[in-house]
Amino acid sequence: MPASLKRRLTPYLLTLPGALWLLAFFLVPMVTMLSVSLQEGSLEEGYRFTGHWQTYTEALGKFDTQLLRSIWYGAIVTVVTLVVSYPMAYWIALRGGRRKNLYLLLILLPFFTPFIIRTLSWKFILADEGIFLGALKDWGVLPDAYQVLATSTAVVAGMIYNFLPFMALPLYVALERLDPAMLDAASDLYSSRRQAFLKVTLPLSMPGVFAGCLLTFIPAVGDFVNATFLGGVNTTMIGNVIQREFLTNNDYPEGAAISFLLMAAILVGVLRYVRKMGAEELTV
Amino acid sequence: MTDRERELRRLLASAPRHNVSRRDVLRGAGALSLTAWLAACGVSGTNEDGGGGNGGSEDDGLTTTEQNGQFSFANWPLYIDRAKGRRPTIDDFTKDTGIEVDYKEVIDDNESFFGTIREPLASGQGAGWDMIVVTDWLIAKMARLGYLEELDHSLLPNFEAHAGQVYKDPSYDPGNAHSVPWQSGITGIGYNPRLTGRKIKSFDDLFDPAFEGKVGMFKEMRDTMNLTLLGIGIDPQQATVDDAALAQEKLIEQRDKGIVRNYYGNEYADALVREDLWLTMAWSGDVFQLQFDKPELEFVVPEEGGILWVDNMAIPQGAENPIDAMAFMDYVYDPKVAAQITAWVNYICPVPEAQDILKKADDSYTKSVAKSPLVFPTPEMESLLYHYKDLDEEEEEAWNDLFGEVIQG
Amino acid sequence: MSRRSRFLPVYTGLVIAYLFVPIVVMILFGFNDPRGRFNFAWQGFTLQWYRELFDIPELTTALKNSLLVAGLSTLIATVLGTMVALALSRYRMRGRSALNVFVFLPMATPEIVLGVSLLSLFVTLGVARGFVTIVIAHILFSVSYVVVTVRARLAGLDHSLEDAAQDLGATPWTTFWTVTFPLIFPGVLAAGLLAFVLSIDDYVITSFNAGGTVTFPLWVFGASRIGVPPQVNVMGTLIFLIGVVYVIVSVVRGRERTGSVGAGALAAKTAKG
Repeated sequence: MPASLKRRLTPYLLTLPGALWLLAFFLVPMVTMLSVSLQEGSLEEGYRFTGHWQTYTEALGKFDTQLLRSIWYGAIVTVVTLVVSYPMAYWIALRGGRRKNLYLLLILLPFFTPFIIRTLSWKFILADEGIFLGALKDWGVLPDAYQVLATSTAVVAGMIYNFLPFMALPLYVALERLDPAMLDAASDLYSSRRQAFLKVTLPLSMPGVFAGCLLTFIPAVGDFVNATFLGGVNTTMIGNVIQREFLTNNDYPEGAAISFLLMAAILVGVLRYVRKMGAEELTV
Repeated sequence: MTDRERELRRLLASAPRHNVSRRDVLRGAGALSLTAWLAACGVSGTNEDGGGGNGGSEDDGLTTTEQNGQFSFANWPLYIDRAKGRRPTIDDFTKDTGIEVDYKEVIDDNESFFGTIREPLASGQGAGWDMIVVTDWLIAKMARLGYLEELDHSLLPNFEAHAGQVYKDPSYDPGNAHSVPWQSGITGIGYNPRLTGRKIKSFDDLFDPAFEGKVGMFKEMRDTMNLTLLGIGIDPQQATVDDAALAQEKLIEQRDKGIVRNYYGNEYADALVREDLWLTMAWSGDVFQLQFDKPELEFVVPEEGGILWVDNMAIPQGAENPIDAMAFMDYVYDPKVAAQITAWVNYICPVPEAQDILKKADDSYTKSVAKSPLVFPTPEMESLLYHYKDLDEEEEEAWNDLFGEVIQG
Repeated sequence: MSRRSRFLPVYTGLVIAYLFVPIVVMILFGFNDPRGRFNFAWQGFTLQWYRELFDIPELTTALKNSLLVAGLSTLIATVLGTMVALALSRYRMRGRSALNVFVFLPMATPEIVLGVSLLSLFVTLGVARGFVTIVIAHILFSVSYVVVTVRARLAGLDHSLEDAAQDLGATPWTTFWTVTFPLIFPGVLAAGLLAFVLSIDDYVITSFNAGGTVTFPLWVFGASRIGVPPQVNVMGTLIFLIGVVYVIVSVVRGRERTGSVGAGALAAKTAKG
């Protein structure tokens, strides 16, 4: 084989195994899931492909509350993690100096521990009579009947904790890449630091904000582990519903349909966000 | 705009952007859905048959008639005696028979466990377990679907000799064709008198607004629905779907008033000990065990009635080591072994003779187990107890839908 | 110093402290001596659980399963992902942007959808779920992360060294192993570590595709129903300590390297003119 041909084929050969894997285990399953969602039947009778859409409309009717709730929680988590992470990412990226990497690693270090242990730890900490609430109740700061666990507050708080690095990391990367010359120019130009930040730093970091919001919102909407451990009644998320449909009810068509509804909801949320972001980009 | 500002804006406009392009993401998403559409159209008409129908209906009999020296056993947590990280009964069994037991406590509730084995059973692949312990109604359902092996009672002499009369030939499994009882138990109310401030006697106590956010209910449909029916004065055996709807309304009311903290599986025990719950639906043996960690806890059968259920050992279709499993089934019906298990598990023992053995024990705890009507029910206790309503396919679906609305707020 | 410039570092310190709260609790209660099976009230200090770490057979098996799955999936995912990263950064190819997006998509899909779609596939094909399906799933979600991580590393490197090697007559194969690979090795290592951690940690995707096999997170989930034994805290602490070691090593090596990297970069820039 002539060397030039080999060289031209190389990238395709390199990507082939990885791409095939993704094709087989990401794309094809999605198609399969779509196909399953349009089937009817049961495990015992077998499934038939009917192409009926009513599974979707039924699922939407039954679980609209959970779907909306998940989007709502996801939005709150995204906004809060953004507000909490930004100052931190800003300081580390732009003022962290030589110890930048250390601080970054410090942020990531707690998340080295398994997710499930972290969440169980929170369940323990937030227990009604636990070390935190128990003490506050003993001192009379909180009423005896006060509870955090089994409320939406606990679920959202757990999600905020667990998704913080998903927001902080892209923010840090974007801020760290900013050209210091640009920032110097900005502080020369604008009289107040606030102005320099709002007019220069913030807009330049937008790609990081965008990436962070995406990487936080999308998994947050689909999360169900926090709701399982920290939640109670009326905190059921769409992820819990999907899990129940697949693993307990074995109602694969309904579960698949709900999964697609989840993806559609995410897409809608992302599109609206993108359109808003896009408009802002134009006015800069 | 000054020259400087213009300059700055130009600089900003030309600044390098991060590589994650929104347009790329959208294009990718669009491409994905388009491909999916095309592919789905191509798939239309294919019979994606999960192999339903051929699973288990033709029972060719056991896969083997020999002992293989091992078997796998799925059970509920804390349902067999434990000492220092080991399980004495299992160790004794292995010592006496040479059969190794792969024991796993993977069952959290009947429905979710059945969900894990239903699909392989339906496609004839075998459940992956040689022996399981599930509640009476699920035995009936699995037997009906052909998912259980038939037992060879010639291999179960201890069962014949020592099992209590009431456990032989039950309505959910005539002739014990597919199962023998493991333990029996009562669904009632477990509570902490110090926190509730008073003795709990009635099912309605679970609906008392004074206990807002401190009440636990089960996410297992049959326990909660049947107990609620009793609570509103309806005999579960006579309940119609309309009655079930009434029960559902009451449950939804309880939820919307914020009285229920959550719907639990086994983890209600943890919540009760932690004092996240003040009172909750509970299983008798659990509360007995919990009194070791928290002596103040109490179990009560509501005055309207409680549910008596039987958990049974059964062998799923296609099990590889059925003979070994049956050896274990027979082993635990030896009164000494039954006594050993019940002394720890504190559920209702299917071997009446075990009570005498326990009465002669040295320690006061075991003696109290022997005397407890929760472990060896008296006739008075039995008069308060009812069984789950036997649901056919339609009713089951209706009840499941009703209950699903309750727990998936 | 003005109050303003104090605020940010203090704030950052507070946030980092907050991030460590559950970790501290976890470590602490690995030393607790609970009376019964519930580990939630401090009852006394003990090192017993560190000695009896492997006393619970199912937990030990679950941990072994997790390590095995993680090892296998990391190996395969790192190889697949690095190859894709190389192709995307170093070569011109058609469909490059589509491939870019395609690789990114699994990262942007909720885990539950990934898990559920794989389950749909396995159910449709009649494949029994177990160890193999778990590994398949883990490779799937790791590959994207590996690609992104290695590409980040590749982006920072320039071609001059590789061009030099090729000019000197080395074949692409030799060039890769003697020049490129050593250069990207830190990135590959980081990617491998990331994949390993993601695999050990994974609950959602695994729960849908595990069948009867139990991994560490799955076991902990089940145990949380009835009482998590302190051994779990100890194992979590040990995993955390591995992370601490990694951080220390990174920082120390970073300090050593700053000098040489700076010099090298300077040299490269000057050489390019």
